[in-house]
Amino acid sequence: MGTTARLKGFIILALLPTLLIYTFFVIVPIFWSAYYGFFDWSGMGDAKFTGLANYIEVIKDEIFWRSLKNNFIIIAASVFGQVPIALVLALLLMKNSFVNRFVRSAVFMPMVLSTVVVGLIWGYMYHPQIGVVNYVLKSLGLESLTRAWLSDPKINMFSVSIPIIWNYIGPYLIIFIAALQNIPSEINDAAKLEGAVGFKKLYYVTLPMIWNTVKVVIVLCIAGSLKAFDQVFVMTGGGPAQSTELLATYMYNNTFEVYRYGYGSAISTMIVIVSMILILISQILMKRKNQ
Amino acid sequence: MKTKKLKLSLVVMLVLSLLLAACSGDKTTGDNAKGKGDKIKLSIWHNYAGDDLRAKAVRKQIDQFEKEHPEVELDKQAIPVDGYRQRLKTVAAANEMPDVFYSYSGSFTEEFYKGNLIQPVSDLWEKKPDWAEKFLPGSKEIFTYDNEVYSAPVGMSATSFLYYNRDLFEKYNVKVPTTWDELMEAIKVFNKNKITPIALGNKATWPAQSSVFGVIADHVTGTEWFMKAIKSDGATFNDPQFIEALNYFKDLVDAKAFQEGANSIDNTQAEQYFVKGNAAMMINGSWAITNLAASSNKEELDKIEVTVVPSIEGGKGKPNTMTGGPGGGFLMSSKVKDKKRELALELMYAISGPEAQKAIAESESLVMYDVDIDESKVSSLYNKAYELVKTVNFAPVYDLYLSSAGGEAINQGLQELMLGGKPKEVAKKLQDAQSKAVK
Repeated sequence: MGTTARLKGFIILALLPTLLIYTFFVIVPIFWSAYYGFFDWSGMGDAKFTGLANYIEVIKDEIFWRSLKNNFIIIAASVFGQVPIALVLALLLMKNSFVNRFVRSAVFMPMVLSTVVVGLIWGYMYHPQIGVVNYVLKSLGLESLTRAWLSDPKINMFSVSIPIIWNYIGPYLIIFIAALQNIPSEINDAAKLEGAVGFKKLYYVTLPMIWNTVKVVIVLCIAGSLKAFDQVFVMTGGGPAQSTELLATYMYNNTFEVYRYGYGSAISTMIVIVSMILILISQILMKRKNQ
Repeated sequence: MKTKKLKLSLVVMLVLSLLLAACSGDKTTGDNAKGKGDKIKLSIWHNYAGDDLRAKAVRKQIDQFEKEHPEVELDKQAIPVDGYRQRLKTVAAANEMPDVFYSYSGSFTEEFYKGNLIQPVSDLWEKKPDWAEKFLPGSKEIFTYDNEVYSAPVGMSATSFLYYNRDLFEKYNVKVPTTWDELMEAIKVFNKNKITPIALGNKATWPAQSSVFGVIADHVTGTEWFMKAIKSDGATFNDPQFIEALNYFKDLVDAKAFQEGANSIDNTQAEQYFVKGNAAMMINGSWAITNLAASSNKEELDKIEVTVVPSIEGGKGKPNTMTGGPGGGFLMSSKVKDKKRELALELMYAISGPEAQKAIAESESLVMYDVDIDESKVSSLYNKAYELVKTVNFAPVYDLYLSSAGGEAINQGLQELMLGGKPKEVAKKLQDAQSKAVK
């Protein structure tokens, strides 16, 4: 037996436990859930086979499409909010001075808070009567701008996006700083010699050098936003009147509040399909760029 | 080669142990039947698992029964409220009900009745007439199916007290409303003086339905219509009287009766908002009494009075009505027989008998039972509320009778109304969801 073959054998063997666990707890339930989607089932008693009825209902369900739209708002807020802010902060905070380290920790801090805590804090900040947001606006004389941030359906999706952006800037900031510090110093020196400074340097030298990292961060952003659940669930529970419903909260409410396990399963299968399509699209777009 | 085998066996052991750990579930159920020795095995499940006074009072009664009956081996399971419904539904699916168990009144209990999982206990009511007659009207009826009583209520859950701040009403010289017009007038005056008329925390979506709308709807449509509509039996939620009920709720919204952003603050925040004197009224359930008593000082509490939500002229409902009734009671599994049944009945009596009712009432929790309590043991607000419920009529709470899909539809629908939705569309959604769930 050659060394490589033995090595390969060991790699497979070592991966086996993880693979098995992953299969049992992730892959199998996905198919299981797709299967439950074919039944009218309340979680107890007999399940009644109804064919594609649940899936057809999902596609016709306007709340499902509203949830999908809301998820896209979160994706947009993350991609166009988190990524640029994290990048700018990374450029400003790259050097290892005391102040920079302090600000970096401050930006990273929300990441170590439980998302439930984040939701509760912001829920209080947005509180229509005692919330600090309305209080600040009032004391600045901007009384006309005060509103019920979480219950006005015209603006509440944007209100819930802000805490999500705030919550997750930290890790992207760290990734960007690492990428920036990985740019070889010769390239920076060469840029200086050639007279590229400020925005010119950023656009022609720095960004191209970290472009791969930017792409990874965008993919992470999209994947994270599709899973968005906790902050919104704590702040609004998907309400009022389902105006901030996300795919995940809608699935949760149908399964565990209304006891329609079959329908909830059908929704979660649709979430898997939508996520796969989105990730496929982003992969194709990135491959093109690479060539 | 040897090391490879070692590695292999290590990996296999790791995988197996992980799988085993994942598969070994807790398999304890309330199983009973063949008692070992002479002792009779009896199991009881309830949700008085907390550390509050009421839970302690109930548990004390059960312990007392155990002490007095050495021949019984009692398997007691106190399950936290959050998981209680699910636990019961799980054992119901496997037909392994505990001998005696606590259940919520309304459609939850009806499911056990329909599934032949419980048996009538009418003989207990007949055997102890002194005890039976002390129950408030409506107690027995809610657990009656086919002329047989299936439970003895232990608690009361009234969902629509009209709490009001006496000081504010006196300060602005407003009459405590007894008719709908007076209520609207009061709302107008308080709004003019920059006081929130009615505090509401509807983030959880059920408070507007359970406390505010349910009682208004009953005033308009009457109870009989509602009981028909939930079965789509000669009445539906598309009927004009239900649209009218929704319109009354919409009138409250349009008159700015509730504070801004009521849909994004929770019930507890609304209670605090009210008790601190920012709102003149609050329509809320009996649970608010305990919450308010626990979180505010005596001075604040003494200002608060309770009454019923004013009735509506020309409506079909009875006046002086409140939604609510027995919150729940203990049921007996249909499998319990003979000597064991005798003991199970005694156990039920121990938890719902006069002594138990008094103990629960003195723990500041309302009961469906007329008993003299020691007033020094309870707060003034509780006392006022208890005196009030002894005189009122009870009407069904909407979500206790609707299917869960129907309940969700009306909860969301009321929020839509608060955001400017149309009553007709809300009614249609409720009817669609309800008829689909009960067909």
